[in-house]
Amino acid sequence: MKRAKRGPSGVVDAPLDTRTQARAKEDRLPSLEDGHLRTYEPGDNVQRFLALLGQRITRSLAVSMTACVHCGLCAESCHYFLARPDDPTMTPVWKADQIRKIFKKHIDWTGRVAPWWVKAGSLRDDEDLNRLKNIVFGTCSACRRCTYNCPMGVDTGLLVRFTRGLLTELGIVPEGVFNVSRDQWETGNQMAVIEQDYLETLEWMRDELRTELGRASVDIPVDMPDCDVLYTINPREIKFDPRSIAHAAKVFHAAGESWTMPKWGWDQTNFGLFSGDDKLGGYVARNVYEAAERLKVKKIVISECGHGYRSTRWEGYNWADYDQKLPTESVVVTLKRYLEEGRLAVDPARNPEAVTFHDSCNIARSGDLVEEPREVLRRVCADFREMFPNRRENFCCTGGGGLLSMAEYRPLRLEVAKIKAEQLRATGAKFVCTMCHNCVDGLNDVIKHYKLPMRVVQVLELVSNALVVPASTK
Amino acid sequence: MSDLLKFVENEVQIAALLFLALVYAVRLIWIFRFRSRKERTFAAGSEAGGVGYSLLNVAMPWAMESTRKRPGFYTQFVVFHLGVVAAITATFIIPYAPGVFRIRAVVIVFQAIMAAAFLAGLLRLVRRLTNPVLRMVSSADDFFSLTLMILFFAAGVLAVPNAYEKAEWPLILFFGLTAFFLVYVPFSKICHYLYYPFTRFYLGRSMGHRGAFPRGRKVGTQVSGPVKEDRA
Repeated sequence: MKRAKRGPSGVVDAPLDTRTQARAKEDRLPSLEDGHLRTYEPGDNVQRFLALLGQRITRSLAVSMTACVHCGLCAESCHYFLARPDDPTMTPVWKADQIRKIFKKHIDWTGRVAPWWVKAGSLRDDEDLNRLKNIVFGTCSACRRCTYNCPMGVDTGLLVRFTRGLLTELGIVPEGVFNVSRDQWETGNQMAVIEQDYLETLEWMRDELRTELGRASVDIPVDMPDCDVLYTINPREIKFDPRSIAHAAKVFHAAGESWTMPKWGWDQTNFGLFSGDDKLGGYVARNVYEAAERLKVKKIVISECGHGYRSTRWEGYNWADYDQKLPTESVVVTLKRYLEEGRLAVDPARNPEAVTFHDSCNIARSGDLVEEPREVLRRVCADFREMFPNRRENFCCTGGGGLLSMAEYRPLRLEVAKIKAEQLRATGAKFVCTMCHNCVDGLNDVIKHYKLPMRVVQVLELVSNALVVPASTK
Repeated sequence: MSDLLKFVENEVQIAALLFLALVYAVRLIWIFRFRSRKERTFAAGSEAGGVGYSLLNVAMPWAMESTRKRPGFYTQFVVFHLGVVAAITATFIIPYAPGVFRIRAVVIVFQAIMAAAFLAGLLRLVRRLTNPVLRMVSSADDFFSLTLMILFFAAGVLAVPNAYEKAEWPLILFFGLTAFFLVYVPFSKICHYLYYPFTRFYLGRSMGHRGAFPRGRKVGTQVSGPVKEDRA
């Protein structure tokens, strides 16, 4: 495909890169052979896109397509537009209109009868599809801040995810999205961690913890049946942050929890949320649910991950057509309960520096947890302070929506991150705590780029720091 | 009262209303033909509470940052839509309860509301023309519908005294515009009020189920503060 024409703003004009897709086809990867993952094929993609649009649209999406009155109130809720106030193409309404106009032209009667009157329009060729790809993947982190600020209740975040899903089905995706989707289809986890690495890392962390606590009975059990808790993690914890697993193990040990990790189905993250691919979403989520059934646990606990929590707790059951059977909760909720029940003894003086909290979009706006992390932090930190705005009005870390895996959009992402940087700087805190591994990387990018004097931590790390492990437990 | 005015006030309005109802019925069938997904998760909150909160959001300017930070815009919204209610009410009062507008105070209240809505409409039009974002996303229908509403409010101000014995043209203009509206509305952005309950219902149900709506909900058990305890 030729280089795509520049959009009105000229901000995002990444061409479609299909080199990885071509290699995957040459290698006859199982995910392609089995028809799970689609690659780009030149041809009548516009017709395929329109057919998919008609087949997949749901009632809630259809009304979000029709209900927008173009009032523009969503504009100032978006960090992209706040950072680029002279560029109308950064507004949620404009971005949503790029799919809305196609819906109007092909599905809604007004657009079919008089397209020019309601600004309905169609796609001409694959370059238009690539342009749409750049808008929905490159200029929106699907944080749903605009959804919360729309007087009509139009869910632009969902429209963006829906459009991403149609493009994913055509292979018109950023290279990073294809790569991570491939890894998750092929290996069951989005960082292609092999079982041996997974098990060795857990053993390594177990040994570290035994040394730290001086007790040989401390364990990180794997595939132990009939436990109370199945603990599922983000592959990033195996690859880049194994200490977070040790923190969790330390807390479970101190609380006297009966817990295990599964050998398969341990990845609670889900790239289907970002790519819009419900099939991938259902497959990954089902792995976790089936692991819980296989091991006959009483509860699924999800480590600190925003999109993982949203996917495993909320969306995954629906994507997988799997009726929820077990309580499924974030480890932060587990921590809160341990503290309430007196199962953990903590000393906030062990976290003396100022700590602020960053709400993950997927947890606060698309989930239910807002006060829970604050209640834990107030218990384990000597100086907890809010950033503003906060809770469901917080701004995205700017790495949400899978943007961390899309290198081509990084310059724009960091440019619009100035909103987040100003928000962080104003707190004067030394630590920004978040209950999301994706936000950890997003915030680290912001901190590095804008040279902020702070470090990112997670709730488990602070709890682990503050934990007073009784001698009897040691 | 001339035969033309009687015809415009009665038969034309009834025919236009029936057309509106028919098109809305088709529109509702169209909406319900889209599939709906089954929710398979345990609820963390109340779907009914979420739906109620979401539907009432329109009356809670403090609930959204976008309206909380723009009290002027919200006021315009309220005035504009009160004008719509007043104008529509007038289209029924004039032919079916003309005595109401014999009361001067009622006429003045209706005129004041519609005059304020007329001004709010003008401000909205200026905003749509001058704001680069709105100019870029606005369609011909957006401009046409707003302009029509502004004209409708102006005609309403002139019509509500219902003084056909002095001049019939304000009433013919008002009811002519009303009939045109009734036919045009289902095809225009003005029918957003038909979609509002749907968008708000689905958002409210989803967020209510997850416990995100109503906002400001407290979690079940509060942790009171730091606990220092050293069992070692």
